[in-house]
Amino acid sequence: MKLVALITVFMTGALLIYGVEDMPGWGDPNSPASSHVSPRYIQEAMEKTATPNMVSAVLADYRSYDTLGETAVIFTAGIACILMLRKKRKGEGE
Amino acid sequence: MLDYVISKYNFWIYVILMMIGLYAMIGKRNLIKKLIGMNIFQSAVILFYVSISVKAGATVPILSGHSYGHGELIEVAKYLNPLPHVLMLTAIVVSIATTGVALATLILIYRRYNTLEEDEILKIRRDTGV
Repeated sequence: MKLVALITVFMTGALLIYGVEDMPGWGDPNSPASSHVSPRYIQEAMEKTATPNMVSAVLADYRSYDTLGETAVIFTAGIACILMLRKKRKGEGE
Repeated sequence: MLDYVISKYNFWIYVILMMIGLYAMIGKRNLIKKLIGMNIFQSAVILFYVSISVKAGATVPILSGHSYGHGELIEVAKYLNPLPHVLMLTAIVVSIATTGVALATLILIYRRYNTLEEDEILKIRRDTGV
């Protein structure tokens, strides 16, 4: 069982290492992740949202519905924890 | 070979970290250890995304002082890419939520079976026919 797990892990790791070859170098300013849409956020965030911190501008202004959904996720998790861990009343099923 | 590793060493580190987490999830029998493996896996993904946002010689994506962007163009190369940071904030929140629910589930499992070893739980379930 452990051997199967080890073989799986090594094969997956080899696949990922093979993929590393195509990734951009460390700190490359022209990497795909930072050359298409993110310049627009950096240049316009202050003008559009009046927030100097771009991370909070994107989090709370551009993607505020995403953040709302995120709070729903935390709320659901908290409710689930409460429902699982509360003391059962007498007569209530397992 | 060494130069090849060093030129993209950050990705190598994340792959190794991720495989440690994956092995803990697949190979370990203790459920708590599986959960810790999942957390290590998530940390590797988060570090990977944050490292993608790095630009050489850039600073944190917060406009400071006089350069408040009134008409003047903000130099893109001077600030880190803010989007991976935002997405990883979301991912950290989700990972906290999953970890909390998983720990609560483990407490329930321990109350019922008095063990957290996967094979012992399966044996109890087989023996009692539940």
